[in-house]
Amino acid sequence: MQFTSFNFLIFFPSVILLYYILPQKFRWSFVLIISYYFYININPIYAFLLVGVTTSTYLFAILMEKTKSDKTRKWLLIADIILTLLPLFFFKYYNFVNQSVFDLLDYFGIRWPLPNLSLLLPIGISFYTFMALGYSIDVYNETIRAEKNFGIVALFTSFFPIVLSGPIERARNMFNQFRGKLTFNYDKAVSGLQLMLWGYFMKLVIADRVAIYVSTIFNNYEYHSGVSLLFATLLYPFQIYGDLGGYSLIAIGCANVMGIDIIPNFNRPFFATSMSEFWRRWHMSLIKWLTDYLYTPISFGLRRLNVWGIVIALLLTFLISGAWHGAALIYMIWGTFQGILLSIEALTNRRKVEFEKKYKLRSKSLYIIFSSVLTYALFAFSLLIAGAVESVSAAFAVIGKIFTNTQPLFINKTTLFYMLIGVGLLILSELRDEFFPEKFKLFQSKNIYIRWAAYMSVLFLILLIGVFNGGQFIYFKF
Amino acid sequence: MERTEVTDKLTTIFRTTFSNDSLILKDEMTANDVDRWDSLSHMILIAEIEKTFSIKFKLKDLNRMQNVGAMIDIIITKL
Repeated sequence: MQFTSFNFLIFFPSVILLYYILPQKFRWSFVLIISYYFYININPIYAFLLVGVTTSTYLFAILMEKTKSDKTRKWLLIADIILTLLPLFFFKYYNFVNQSVFDLLDYFGIRWPLPNLSLLLPIGISFYTFMALGYSIDVYNETIRAEKNFGIVALFTSFFPIVLSGPIERARNMFNQFRGKLTFNYDKAVSGLQLMLWGYFMKLVIADRVAIYVSTIFNNYEYHSGVSLLFATLLYPFQIYGDLGGYSLIAIGCANVMGIDIIPNFNRPFFATSMSEFWRRWHMSLIKWLTDYLYTPISFGLRRLNVWGIVIALLLTFLISGAWHGAALIYMIWGTFQGILLSIEALTNRRKVEFEKKYKLRSKSLYIIFSSVLTYALFAFSLLIAGAVESVSAAFAVIGKIFTNTQPLFINKTTLFYMLIGVGLLILSELRDEFFPEKFKLFQSKNIYIRWAAYMSVLFLILLIGVFNGGQFIYFKF
Repeated sequence: MERTEVTDKLTTIFRTTFSNDSLILKDEMTANDVDRWDSLSHMILIAEIEKTFSIKFKLKDLNRMQNVGAMIDIIITKL
């Protein structure tokens, strides 16, 4: 069941109604049952995998807490990490590793073929695996106590708003909420519904509309002009943002309606003035996870190497981030490219700050705009190798054509017009939140007419120009 | 070593690391309050503290450094 499906429109209000009818102490158990129903509804068999990961995580956390010896605790953590990652590796990387090993052996004249498996990637596996791992590492680091109630751990890994595509939550944020009083909070519920409404707008009006234009161009890039390819390249980040950003808002909104807080996933990423700032604003829950559980331990271990330790840690972290996105060379190249950009920034940061101070650049709008545009362009071009087109060679062909082919822009008037409305409104809303956070808050206006006019306008736009056959969320494939 | 002495030495490290000669440390200060104090510069700061105080942190100590005050407390326990 997808957030954009008709079934969800019936499922969610029914769940909320039953949730608040039930006595408070039964609510978390009810959400657990509903979460498994939601997951089984997509693919029943893979629910066993979710149960398996949850059970091993639960048992290892308790074992780690009970164990006194540091050495044994470390081995328990390693065993837990291997067990938790095993299904992810099997489903996501088996074919890739199998093919790579075959190609390597073949190069030396050895042919030892193993069958490739045509298994569907269990939906949400990359997300709940990371959540489970985060919990285990927190217990190992003694930043959280091991949860004795299996149901609470099971709800954490399966909580239906976030199980499919995040945000990648932390046990310490969720356990207390699940155990606490899940009472109705009017303000939080209203804010949740507002987030859901805007999330649907981002997905249906922006992401899926932009997708029509972008896929038309990229799927036939050989036949399109350099200007059209450049336009599609620059539009693609809006599609991804509308997709995952919209999904995240719907997920956070759903949880809010149930009185549960979820960490944010985006913070107006296109206003970032550097790649390091960009990664503090984009897919924040994943980046924070990678920072806490990968980058920090690696860079801590290499701290004697000073800035070079940071560079190595960055490259490794983003290489793994690339691999997390998919088992393909394009994602590894994309991850390495991002790691290189961040390393360059880390190496030149001190000089950059001194230069900015000397010429008082941080207070000059033109410099800020230039930095934001450059960051956006770097990200947009990096996406060319991370899924926008089907291969690295296609990405380079697109880039080559952008600089050499000057034929006119491909125009589909309806798509462009509807896209302009969606993207334009998103930009206005983000500009307001970035520069005038307390002004022009239409959804939060004290005037009931303005508030409802805003709700109705957004709903009207979704119904009028939303794309309702746009397919599933992009991040489901991760 | 007294807490004030630790704070003074730490202030010098912070000022050098973040290129800010007027930085004054407060116990409740976090990375959000100091320009350029991010996950990249944090590790340089940690390495510099270890060198200056001749101490060695554990990864667990890093997780407990929620603010400057907690950082000073941890440094004192290592001296």
